[in-house]
Amino acid sequence: MSGLSSYLRLAIAYTKINFKSLLAYRGAFVSQMVAMFINDSVWIAFWCLFFTRFPVVKGWGVNDVITLWSIAASGFGVAHVFMGNALTLPGIIMRGELDSWLLYPRAVLPHLLLGRSSASAWGDALFGVVVYVLFVKPDLPHLLLFLLLVLSVAILFVGFSVFTGSLAFFLGSADSIAVQLRFALITFSTYPSPIFQGFVKVLLFTLIPAMFVSHLPVSALRNMSFLDASYSFAGAFAVLAMGVAVFYFGLRRYESGNLMEMRG
Amino acid sequence: MNKYFYIALTSIRSKLAYLGEIGSKTIFLFVILYIFLCLWKVTYTETNQSSLGGLTLKQMLWYLVVTESMILSLAPIATVVDQDVRTGSLAMQLVRPLSYPLSVFANTTGERCLAFAINFVVGSLIACLFVGLPELQLQNIVMFLLLLPLSFALDFSIYFLIGLSAFWLEDTTGITLIYSRLTMILGGMLIPLELFPDSWQQILRVLPFSAIVYGPARTFVTGDVPLFLYLIGQQLAAIIVFALLINLVYTFALKRVFSHGG
Repeated sequence: MSGLSSYLRLAIAYTKINFKSLLAYRGAFVSQMVAMFINDSVWIAFWCLFFTRFPVVKGWGVNDVITLWSIAASGFGVAHVFMGNALTLPGIIMRGELDSWLLYPRAVLPHLLLGRSSASAWGDALFGVVVYVLFVKPDLPHLLLFLLLVLSVAILFVGFSVFTGSLAFFLGSADSIAVQLRFALITFSTYPSPIFQGFVKVLLFTLIPAMFVSHLPVSALRNMSFLDASYSFAGAFAVLAMGVAVFYFGLRRYESGNLMEMRG
Repeated sequence: MNKYFYIALTSIRSKLAYLGEIGSKTIFLFVILYIFLCLWKVTYTETNQSSLGGLTLKQMLWYLVVTESMILSLAPIATVVDQDVRTGSLAMQLVRPLSYPLSVFANTTGERCLAFAINFVVGSLIACLFVGLPELQLQNIVMFLLLLPLSFALDFSIYFLIGLSAFWLEDTTGITLIYSRLTMILGGMLIPLELFPDSWQQILRVLPFSAIVYGPARTFVTGDVPLFLYLIGQQLAAIIVFALLINLVYTFALKRVFSHGG
């Protein structure tokens, strides 16, 4: 328990430092955050247009898709606001830049992941909450469950990024494949889940776990189902466990890049 | 003009050395085409219509093959210009007997042509697998091939202008992202203009976004001659306007270049 609170304090300290370092380039930070907010809004505009023309898609209405986008965007945002290095993991491994992280008296992976905050992820995190509150107008229980599910989706995104990023231990240049797999997860996660059937649905519960971002959280919020919410968490922790296992298994194969590196 | 042609050719050759990287991007193309096939299949079935916005399901998927291939083939034009400005590489480019905008145009367009060709071939194979071959006439292909380079040139001119804003802005990635999303939605990449509300359609047809994505794709699948003639005029007019703007901004921006030894 004391270990957990110690890592929590580390996370808070890193978040403060990362936020300050983002603020050092205030203009760039704000512009990236706003751009991501607008980027996500464009997708909401697309779905509003789509549902104006075709009001229901396999039982899903515009509110369901807005809920889906809110959870996915906020989940992705929260994941990379706190653990921004999850996005750059394949590059760090490929260039042999893990050395400096290996020297700290902390577990490598959480420390490494906390080492950076993504500026655009702040826009995502903010977008989801704002859009959910403004468009869906939830009551307090729905809002609390929404925030809980955002946490579940954030865990899943971190786990998936660690899993795909760790492929660099085995494949060398895995940057491109990690990005493609992450895009695939995000893309499948941001469309109404009932349109996917058969084998693809199985795939979306396993290899590309999009159903834990889209189907289960939306269903949990729609029906206030704690069973669906617990399935979401179970899926998220399973993906995280898989990512962590692949990372530490791959770490045995890691070769230093012999780089001199200063971390301020 | 010959030298710019060789720059484009060199760009293609150097990208051919990283064919795997370009190829890996087709995974995303597969994913997005599959998702849209599912989405539109459900939509056609639930509305009980054989044609939406004047397109059958098969035409809709081929429309998406073209639009996605165009968008996914985009070279990082604004980023290249932004980096040249920020790192000072631009000063090095200026001493060369080349026009900087034209050399960037040749370089990025060469790269884009290759990426488009690969995306289009892979996208066509995917579409054939899902919905079969389209009913195309020769005129569809000819009109499309005439519109495509103008579409690339118009898109380039806007991205180049965004890149030049690095002379004044701390970061241009935000504007680049916003422009790319506007092209995706207002340019009809995801949904043809005919499916937008009627009041929007008139405005969207005048904006340059539709001349970049929607127009060439629609012409490819429908072979609409009046649309083609309108688009040619629109593309040429827009390119002239943006070329003049580039000239103006570039001349003004060059006054802010300070070079020193090193």
